[in-house]
Amino acid sequence: MSVIDEVTALQAATLAEIAAAATTDELEAIRIKVVGKSGSLTGYLRSMNQVAPEERAEVGKTVNIARNQIESALEAQKKALAGAELEARMQADALDITLPGRAQQMGTRHLINRITDEIAEVFMGIGYSVATGPEVETDYYNFEALNAPADHPSRSMQDTFYVRDLSGDTTNVKGESDVLLRTQTSGVQVHAMEDQELPIYIIAPGKVYRRDVADPSHLPQFNQIEGLVVDKGITFGDLKGTLDYFCKQMFGEERKTRFRAHYFPFTEPSAEVDVSCGICHGEGCRFCKGTGWLEILGCGMVDPNVLRYSGIDPEVYSGFAFGVGVERVACLKYNVPDLRMLLEGDMRFLRQF
Amino acid sequence: MKVSLKWLSEYVEVPADLKAFCDRLDLTGTGVEGVEVAGATFDKVVVGQIVEKKAHPDSDHMWVCQVNVGQNNVGEDGNPEPLQIVCGAQNFNENDKIPVAMVGAEFGDFKIKKSKLRGVVSNGMNCSERELGLGSDHDGIMILPADAPIGMPFADYMQLSDKILDLEITPNRPDCLSMKGMAREVGAMYERDFTDPLNDPIFNLGENQDLEPTADAVSVTISDPARCDRYTARVIENVKIGPSPDWLAERIIAAGARPINNIVDATNYILFLFGQPLHAFDFDKLKNAEGKAHIVVRPAEEGEKLVTLDGEERDLTPDMTVIATPERAVALAGVMGGLDSEVTDETTTVLLEAATFSRAHTSRTSRNLGLISESSLRYERGVDDNPIAALSDAAAALIAEISGGTVRPGIVDVWEQQTEAVMLDFRIPRFNAMMGAHIERDYIIETLKRLGCAVTIADIETSKAADCAEGELLHVLAPTFRPDLEREIDLYEEVLRLYGMDRIEPTLPAGAGRIGKRTLAEQRIEKINDTLRASGLNETVTYSFAEPGDLDKLRMDKTDLGMPVELLNPLNAEQSIMRQSIIPGLLHSLAYNQSHGVKNVQLYETGRVFFAADGKKKPKEKERVAAVMAGAMGDPAWNASPAAFDFFDGKGVIENLLRELATPKVRFKALSAEEAPHLQPGRAAQVLSGGTVLGWVGEIHPLAVDAFDANAPVVAFELDLDALVKTSQPARDYVDVPLFPAVTMDIALVVDEDVTNEKLIQVMTSAGGKLLSSIQLFDVYRDADRLGAGKKSMAYALEYRSPEKTLTTEEVNKQHERLIKKVCGATGAEVRS
Repeated sequence: MSVIDEVTALQAATLAEIAAAATTDELEAIRIKVVGKSGSLTGYLRSMNQVAPEERAEVGKTVNIARNQIESALEAQKKALAGAELEARMQADALDITLPGRAQQMGTRHLINRITDEIAEVFMGIGYSVATGPEVETDYYNFEALNAPADHPSRSMQDTFYVRDLSGDTTNVKGESDVLLRTQTSGVQVHAMEDQELPIYIIAPGKVYRRDVADPSHLPQFNQIEGLVVDKGITFGDLKGTLDYFCKQMFGEERKTRFRAHYFPFTEPSAEVDVSCGICHGEGCRFCKGTGWLEILGCGMVDPNVLRYSGIDPEVYSGFAFGVGVERVACLKYNVPDLRMLLEGDMRFLRQF
Repeated sequence: MKVSLKWLSEYVEVPADLKAFCDRLDLTGTGVEGVEVAGATFDKVVVGQIVEKKAHPDSDHMWVCQVNVGQNNVGEDGNPEPLQIVCGAQNFNENDKIPVAMVGAEFGDFKIKKSKLRGVVSNGMNCSERELGLGSDHDGIMILPADAPIGMPFADYMQLSDKILDLEITPNRPDCLSMKGMAREVGAMYERDFTDPLNDPIFNLGENQDLEPTADAVSVTISDPARCDRYTARVIENVKIGPSPDWLAERIIAAGARPINNIVDATNYILFLFGQPLHAFDFDKLKNAEGKAHIVVRPAEEGEKLVTLDGEERDLTPDMTVIATPERAVALAGVMGGLDSEVTDETTTVLLEAATFSRAHTSRTSRNLGLISESSLRYERGVDDNPIAALSDAAAALIAEISGGTVRPGIVDVWEQQTEAVMLDFRIPRFNAMMGAHIERDYIIETLKRLGCAVTIADIETSKAADCAEGELLHVLAPTFRPDLEREIDLYEEVLRLYGMDRIEPTLPAGAGRIGKRTLAEQRIEKINDTLRASGLNETVTYSFAEPGDLDKLRMDKTDLGMPVELLNPLNAEQSIMRQSIIPGLLHSLAYNQSHGVKNVQLYETGRVFFAADGKKKPKEKERVAAVMAGAMGDPAWNASPAAFDFFDGKGVIENLLRELATPKVRFKALSAEEAPHLQPGRAAQVLSGGTVLGWVGEIHPLAVDAFDANAPVVAFELDLDALVKTSQPARDYVDVPLFPAVTMDIALVVDEDVTNEKLIQVMTSAGGKLLSSIQLFDVYRDADRLGAGKKSMAYALEYRSPEKTLTTEEVNKQHERLIKKVCGATGAEVRS
């Protein structure tokens, strides 16, 4: 058998082996055996000096063709097999993607503070800044500077927690004191008017305290957000427009507001604001006790006495103030059935929000 | 304030649509808190008309009637369809109007049902007076006037029922605490006239001029005019005490009070009708040996006592005012009468007090004694002294009328200070500018007049002086029964509320150039909240109140906590002071969760704590952030098994937090059992930034956890929010990202237990020189057999890197060997191979 015949036979046998190979490992073995450094086909090139010179060109050409064909067959077969193997591996690695993911637990924001954040965002968007004040207040900031002097009947609208006055001052009424837990965030108005430059556009969120026994709809500790605007040319219409905007932002564009005349010592005229019931859309249902309206906040034009107390001329400046009960919003927006849940710290409640 | 609509409609026309009326009240400032129906209602009894009357086919005395009841019975087409009713009465004819009891009506135990009478269907009953309980006439059906509206509820037609509104009268409106005031208010609401109840002929006084004049029998002295502007007395003789006539008793009940006897009811009637509190004394209990009564209005004496009408003995103070004879106090001025001078069945002569007392004194007396009465409620809001004599006359006339008594001529009237009506300006342009409205002058004048003001238009000169054009300035004389109308703005409110706030166009403030922003502190606090939540903690809120023993239960050292803020009127002992730490509240919540089967608890709270100091009026308030962690971050899951919380989970959260705040020079310093008795010794650390103490972190002492009925271990921390904000930095500086590769060398050091990680890192850092770029602890290992007792192996990955070039092995080895030598020398460590 001539060398050329041998090479041709090897080529044919190898191509057949390649075609029959089932794995990429087998292919690799074939490659090493035939075209590797000491492969059988490589051997022919190495032993070319033993071939008769006149045959060398022919043999060389035959070996190179065989080598090219084998290598491209190897390549093609490897591609085919690798694809199939990857397919098989991926198939084996398929997951039940309905299994839960792997995640670090995220904590949650308390509902009341979540709502406070939301309200603060609404007002910051229309140019308000945030202010705070002390929770233990003097009578002056909680009542007197808010136009409710001593023995004023409006004081009995709120049941006050009094604090032992360690300065030695006494009061005319047993059990009362010059120091108290603030019953409203309105005192921040006075601090702001004393401390800030005009004009003033602020909101003041914070805890307030009233002597109500805790039950599903009352808490002795709850949260208010006070708003105060003092500027030139502020009108009652501005108060309406501002709170109308706020209610729409908080409860939805389709909600309406209603202003009911009311009385607060530190505003005049004063009003309570209702938002139309989101369940019956004002028709009257159980949720709104048949009225079609839900009470949401109190407000009014800042009383000139209050402005004067803080050294602001009510003939030049006017303003409005409002107070939103955050728990009230929680009830209206999230249907919290029992306010006491807000202070229990029950993880099963907290992690809902 | 309870207002009977039947009674109110005597003085002003009340709208028929109750819901619309209540809405208008609500919108104009008189809150409607409830509506009750009083009196006979006669449900399902309506006015009907006999449209056909035929003889019963099977009875010689019964009739088969077709009765039209209007919309109460309609056919499929929605039109009224007569009811067929079988009736045995003989007195009626076709077209007669009669009361019809429809199916479902009830008379005591007797209920009207659909029935058959001798085979003919009957759908109700034609009623007689007796069946309706209105009389004894049983002979025939009650025939109503021909103009009775068909279908109208019978009780409404006969005005048998009444609606009682429960109204919320705001503290600025004492005038509305009376039927007359409400009639005026309703008149103003609907631009209608009202009738002054004083015009009722029952109030026409007839004095008996033959009797001894009042002034001869009674004298009055006001010892402190600041407490009593006006005091009047009248005497009515020969009264017969007995029950009030029905009409009076009904009105007293409708007003929410209880009828007592004719004298007391008469005084209460004046109170409810005009808002003027009165008091009737038994004259004989006041008079002296000469038969004369001397009344003194004076401050109570220290230690004086008085038994009030309700039988309670009251301890009086000089801030309270009493009505007294020269011998003793007989009434608590403005609040309640005394028991021993009250009108009883034996009373024959009545001394009638009509007066006004200081608002502030009445309010304080009422609060000091915890005694609120219909009188005190009105006096503390303000009672007008001007009409007192007229109202005393009216009351005397009524008493005489219903008790058979005779009124002595004259009134004793001591009027120390008369309240004058106040004249106020009303600048129409300013009003409209401030309200953002365009309300016409005529409307303003009309409204103010209906409220009882006298209004005139100012002349040109005065108008100009007030920056108003001609005709745009009003002079308004506010009535003395409206003590709340003191200033121009008070009048604005009146006009606006009656005009309707809903009619004002909503606008937004026009002021330009405002920027809404958070302060730096708020931004930091927001970041703190975000980081704690990202670390898996859930925000909660607990009570700011605390129990006095809370800190002892927690075993917390109270040295630097000052005194607790003490409530004078706490709701209960568990909430009688303000908290000095957030931890007890969080431990209560933890115990709540654990007792409800929730094992994994991660809670945090930001809020204030309070520290009082002797001599200081106000306490210090500090913002804190605190957390408790118990159990693990979650339950074991298919692909995760969260480790049980220990000290390092708390510390890890704080490390996250301080990293986010870019807090410099953070240090955790071990706290001893003496320094932090509330923490488990050996698992307690102080958190510092340089020299500033930020707070503490640790595992709560197991005994403290027990005391709060929670289950240990509990990891907790409490940090000072102000200190966190103050030490935080706006941003960290940029550091070059490494350009050249690092060489990492692992090293395991066997050291004594008391050699801390912090110490080893300190020594390695100083020994590693510039090339040592990072130290990472990757293993802590203890094995008494292999390492020896009291020893531990600390394994670190040390990374060497130069910012200028790729380091050679020789360079690294040289530095590393030097480091090992120094560490071993300084800490007694041995390198474990």
